[in-house]
Amino acid sequence: MSDLISIKGGRDGLRMRFDDTADWPALLVQLEQQLTQNQAFFNGARLTLELGERSLDEIQLSELLNLLQHHGVVADALSANAREARNAARAIGITARPLPRYADPPPGTPSVAPESEALLLTRTVRSGQVLRHSGHITLIGDLNPGGELIAGGSVIVWGRLRGFVHAGALGNAEAVICGLELSPTQLRIADQIATTPPRGNGPHVPEVARIEHNQIVVESWENYKR
Amino acid sequence: MARVITITSGKGGVGKTTTTANLGTALAMRGARVAVMDADIGLRNLDVVMGLENRIVYDLVDVVEGRARLRQALIKDKRLPELCLLPAAQTRDKDAVSPEQMVYLTNQLRTEFDFVLIDSPAGIEGGFRNAIVGADEVIIVTTPEVSAVRDADRIVGLVEAAEKGTPSLIVNRIKPRLVNRGEMLSVEDVIELLAINLLGIVPDDEAIVTSTNRGEAAVYDQHSLAGRAFLNIARRLNGEEVPFLPLQDQPGVLERFFGIFGRRRT
Repeated sequence: MSDLISIKGGRDGLRMRFDDTADWPALLVQLEQQLTQNQAFFNGARLTLELGERSLDEIQLSELLNLLQHHGVVADALSANAREARNAARAIGITARPLPRYADPPPGTPSVAPESEALLLTRTVRSGQVLRHSGHITLIGDLNPGGELIAGGSVIVWGRLRGFVHAGALGNAEAVICGLELSPTQLRIADQIATTPPRGNGPHVPEVARIEHNQIVVESWENYKR
Repeated sequence: MARVITITSGKGGVGKTTTTANLGTALAMRGARVAVMDADIGLRNLDVVMGLENRIVYDLVDVVEGRARLRQALIKDKRLPELCLLPAAQTRDKDAVSPEQMVYLTNQLRTEFDFVLIDSPAGIEGGFRNAIVGADEVIIVTTPEVSAVRDADRIVGLVEAAEKGTPSLIVNRIKPRLVNRGEMLSVEDVIELLAINLLGIVPDDEAIVTSTNRGEAAVYDQHSLAGRAFLNIARRLNGEEVPFLPLQDQPGVLERFFGIFGRRRT
């Protein structure tokens, strides 16, 4: 996302990692930019703040929380090594814990671009359920109407896709959406929006949606692969 | 040990209270000791549907707040001595009871009954959460309408998130003729979307209206199709394998039900 603030998704939800040493007011400015730019991704998100070694007092932390809240983001938890930051979080009423041991890969590990980290899920995503991930999402199961998948990367639904999908929600227009049965309420890729006319109950073929000439096009998998 | 089963739906008006009253009565007719609890505090109905409204002295909130003992608040059914109702309070609202109090209450009922059926309020807020917090199992009632099914789907997710297992399903008010003409969602359409176990199909039946107004469960009426469907659901709850009722003029669909769902009864 940026060099000072990174967003990562995992099975337990999103984590927002702040650089340990950068100037705090500058970080907030950058965060504001990121939240504004990627509103589609962040609005409604819940995430864990990761502060690393940085220490924050209560005033700084509530400033941060207010900024997030203003953009529809709720911080559920905070992980930090500095006791002061954890105490500030508890005083405000959010869960605080030390940094997880696996937080950063040991130096020298080849780094993977966060967006290519994929999340694999085997379940039904039902009405009212939202899955948000900074990388790709593969869902083995149905996405029901009223359910939402929001991904920084591409989205694959090995099942019926009847809900809402936003791929490339962090701005990647190369992202695609694949489904065995594509009858979504709405599809979005990057900043493009497509609503689909209701289709009959005829036989469905696997389809792929992608951006072509600034609009979302859908074609069958058979055509797409050629 | 008692089974505590909550009957819920998300959407209002799909037949939760009717289902609770009829299943409770049907289970008691078959010899089980049954308590039905109205968890719809502030909008109580179950007592009316069961014709016990005029016998209420104490209610659920009185028990929770210590004004009455549970035994005092339980109302015996008119016909079945094994069937008891714990009515909701009408003058209070959903906040009058905490989840901990609901768990305590259901656990007290467990010791004296074989089945405890909880009639949940509509919605997904505190009242619904209170209704499922003490339950072992959840039954979702839906009608074959897109809006009701959408809400049911939401409820399935919430029930699973509350770690109450996957709920089972009753599809209420099916009109075979409309389904045949393709104007109503079929049971298969509903099942395909919700992907949960089907416990019963209840056909639309005008006898329900009269039985509800009279305060007598439809399961007493030999001629009521809905009543027979509820009796069958009660038998399935008891672990019997009961085929689904033949819905008029659609034997083809029925045969497919046997194939798909008949064997999954446990």
